[in-house]
Amino acid sequence: MNAIEVRHLTRRFGSFVAVNDVSFDVRAGEIFGFLGSNGAGKSTTIRMLCGLLRPSSGSARVGGIDVMDDPESVKRRIGYMSQRFSLYEKLTVDQNIAFFGGIYGLDAGRLAARRAFVLDMAGLRGRESTLTGALSAGWRQRLALGCAILHEPPIVFLDEPTGGVDPLSRRQFWRLIDDLSRAGVAVLVTTHYLDEAEHCHRVAIIQAGRLAAHGTVKELKAIFASRPILEVRAAEAVAAMRALDAMPEVEKTSIFGTAVHAVLRSSETTPAMIAARLESAGIRPLSCGVVEPSLEDVFLDVAERTAA
Amino acid sequence: MSALWKTVAVARKEMRQIGRDRRTLLILLFVPVFFLLVYGYALNFDIRHIRIAVQDNDRSTESRDVISSFVNSGYFDLYGEVPNDEAISRVIDRNQVRAVLIIPARFGRDVAAGHFTRVQLIVDGDNANTATTVVGYVRGLISATSARYEMQAGLGSLQGPLLTVEPRVFYNAELRSTLFLVPGLIAYIAMLTAVVSTALSIVREKEVGTMEQVRMSPIGPVPYILGKTAPYFLVSLVSSMSIVVAAMVLFDMPMRGSWLVLLGVVSLFLVGALAFGLLISSIADTQQVAFQLALLTSFLPTLMLSGFIFPISSMPTFLQVVTHIVPARYFLVALRGIVLKGVGPSVFWSDLLALGIFAVAILGLASLRLRRQWA
Amino acid sequence: MTRLTHVIRKEFLELRQDPRLFGIVIMAPIIQLTMLGYAATTDVRNVPLVVVDQDGSSESRDLVSRFEASQSFMVIDRVSSVRQIDRYLDTGEAWMALTIPADYGERVSEGTPTTIQVVADGTDANSTNVALGYAGALIADYARELAAASGLVAGPPLVSAEVRVWFNPQLESRDFMIPGILALLLLVVTTNLSSMAIVRERELGTLEQLNVTPIARWELILGKMLPYALIGLIDVLLVVVVAVFWFEVPLRGSLTLLLLMCMVYLLTTLGLGLFVSTISSTQQQAMMTASFFFLIPMVFLSGFIFPIENMPAVFQPVTYLIPLRYFLVILRGIFLKGVGLETLWPEALALLGWGVGILTLATLRSSKRLA
Repeated sequence: MNAIEVRHLTRRFGSFVAVNDVSFDVRAGEIFGFLGSNGAGKSTTIRMLCGLLRPSSGSARVGGIDVMDDPESVKRRIGYMSQRFSLYEKLTVDQNIAFFGGIYGLDAGRLAARRAFVLDMAGLRGRESTLTGALSAGWRQRLALGCAILHEPPIVFLDEPTGGVDPLSRRQFWRLIDDLSRAGVAVLVTTHYLDEAEHCHRVAIIQAGRLAAHGTVKELKAIFASRPILEVRAAEAVAAMRALDAMPEVEKTSIFGTAVHAVLRSSETTPAMIAARLESAGIRPLSCGVVEPSLEDVFLDVAERTAA
Repeated sequence: MSALWKTVAVARKEMRQIGRDRRTLLILLFVPVFFLLVYGYALNFDIRHIRIAVQDNDRSTESRDVISSFVNSGYFDLYGEVPNDEAISRVIDRNQVRAVLIIPARFGRDVAAGHFTRVQLIVDGDNANTATTVVGYVRGLISATSARYEMQAGLGSLQGPLLTVEPRVFYNAELRSTLFLVPGLIAYIAMLTAVVSTALSIVREKEVGTMEQVRMSPIGPVPYILGKTAPYFLVSLVSSMSIVVAAMVLFDMPMRGSWLVLLGVVSLFLVGALAFGLLISSIADTQQVAFQLALLTSFLPTLMLSGFIFPISSMPTFLQVVTHIVPARYFLVALRGIVLKGVGPSVFWSDLLALGIFAVAILGLASLRLRRQWA
Repeated sequence: MTRLTHVIRKEFLELRQDPRLFGIVIMAPIIQLTMLGYAATTDVRNVPLVVVDQDGSSESRDLVSRFEASQSFMVIDRVSSVRQIDRYLDTGEAWMALTIPADYGERVSEGTPTTIQVVADGTDANSTNVALGYAGALIADYARELAAASGLVAGPPLVSAEVRVWFNPQLESRDFMIPGILALLLLVVTTNLSSMAIVRERELGTLEQLNVTPIARWELILGKMLPYALIGLIDVLLVVVVAVFWFEVPLRGSLTLLLLMCMVYLLTTLGLGLFVSTISSTQQQAMMTASFFFLIPMVFLSGFIFPIENMPAVFQPVTYLIPLRYFLVILRGIFLKGVGLETLWPEALALLGWGVGILTLATLRSSKRLA
């Protein structure tokens, strides 16, 4: 039995369809990433799975329990962390832990043990009496995660948990998620940081409420199996991009920082051929080679195809 | 970007926000007029239809005569008879009547013979205002009755009392308390909306965190504050003037003074109120505190200490002193002067001065605090 | 500790971090009560009066001294010409002007009826009414005395009225107002605080977090309401102490009944706060809605200041919908009349019904799930 089973889940707001016929599974111990631009339907989906929002149609089973029938039982088995790290800023670290521990019904002994765990995990030993509002974003983020898993739920939902947090803290945070996954917890994460999504075992891309792509990271990148991605670095990146766009062998281009990614129509085209073409167009490429597709490439490709 | 331009930008954003919050907009613009409608009709101190019960122990022509003089006066509604003391307690405890008239058993005989006699009146004193009026009415009726019987019995040679009073009432000949209350309502509503909206709009930005972002931008405190308060000034002004117009249309409130002066006075008052809202926003960190503070320092004092309902001259001295710092007090004098008495600034210039001083002082204090917090 | 206790504890911990709010909530009622207790008086005293004595005889001076001696009036000036009255009335320096005609002294000593003119500023209709009444009574009594002194009448009037005022023999309007202030303060403090407290959690996002936990709806609601109920009750006790010991408002009924009724009343105020929170998305909305749609109408239409019986018949049925109306009757009954449930049961029942009704409605609306 899967930790999370979603079948044809749909949610309408009036005439606007926020989530449209979405189906997927998440296994225990798996980190499942939910990617999508803002407004694509990620948060709505999570809310339905947490029992916060009633689906318009379709079904979802979380921890074996039907979300429509018994949302309250679902809540006992899940942990949830929202984008806003919803902690009580006017309470101290300890008071927040005690509060959420109490809400989840942890007895004194268990609470003490879990409290110790969370303080260590978040690195907040010695700061138990600090007001939560006085902590910087990174600490609050870890505390929020800790409070969400006090009751050791087998399933955890994280909705854009790394928003507004520095890269170092983000990396630390993902290490914590890895720990959870190794402990057998199913983690469903939404994010729009595509580099983070590489951490996930499996990923789903949501576009305009629909599941546009779905599978392991490797599987998703396989859409470029027959279409290699060339990375070209040149002094005049924009000119290079225009030149590449003009070539028939190139399907599309996009700028990635100072480099241009060009998706080739076929693997028969070699980097050397393209480099030569560029030189004849008067552009000196500093480098030109095939790169491993990144999730960003995948995302852009999927987005384009869905929009079409 | 010039300061004016920045101010306009902030103002425009605030207006858009106000516009989107339809409910608040509705409340700020339309509810005041609606209130005027309701309260203007409902609220008055005029006492009518006073329920009175009677215990007529005499049942003579004379006693019935007294009772009918009460009924015919138009002030009293006859509730019924109360046969005994227990019944009297019951009707008064239960608020079923305001007063009980007890006529003694030998009333008719005594009056006819020219002997002194008295009737008893029991009044429910819980509402002193009403009770005083009731007592006044009753005394008046009894003394008129007495005079009539004195004439009949041939007592004294007077054709009526030695001294009579001829009352003339200025400005409000029918003594409609509505006219008194309406200017007060205007002051009240204006104060409330101006203070509260301003305070909350700034504190909300503080609470939600967008204030920090604004501080980072090159806007500067003055354009920001001006821009934030300008829309509320506009809205409150429109609202206040519409109440005046509504009062004229619905309640025949006269407008005996100058419209221009009225506009000026209202604007001056609103500036002070908005400044007060700014001051509150510089003190409060959360909207809850801002609101409670606004209530404590504007809602209640304006209601109680401005002369809106309760006359200042009747208050104890120490409180009269306190009323000097309630801006609504001055506003009411000026407003009533313009609307009801038809006088101009030459008469109430001292009140205008007070309003001006208030506005300037509070604006100064608020901007000092806000500027310090901005840095 | 149960989940409920955790919620209550959290609420108090949060309040503690906001000492300003705490201070306001406890201190404000005292300040307001003091302010209102002294200001909220409909008694008419020290009416500024200007006298136009066109006669200047000893008789006219005698009349004027009657006015001076009266607590209701304060003679601020004596002028000789009627034209000078306008200035006083226009500026509001005087509310009334007494005009004694030039032949007053003569006529009075002859026993000929004379008319005295009293001009009044009608802007404050209520006070003017009362003041005119006082003036009239003062003059009538004086007239009686004069007539008796000169042997023109037999002495005291044939028929007089002996007046007994129950519950408030000194006719202190304060005794009427202060119980009302208690009700008003409770209303303002608890309704606003409770509605804003919930909406703030919604605004900040912590409400969503709570909705994801296994906490039950009733636990959440009760947990958020109880702290404010407690604060409300503390306020009640403070106000009762100040009212009884400082203002000497009599408390003739049972204190226990008073507290019990306050708790029933708190059901309505908190229920109203909860209801407002379910229809508001921001704190500003909550506060505006609560004040304008509920608090202000309640202040004006409940009989707090303006007696319901004075209102046009059209409005009176509307007042039955206002819980404050019932609570005021109960309060005044307990304080001034010393009655108990045997008399007040209809109002108590109505209040209870209102409280249970609004609380139920609000609870039904606050689902843990958004549709």
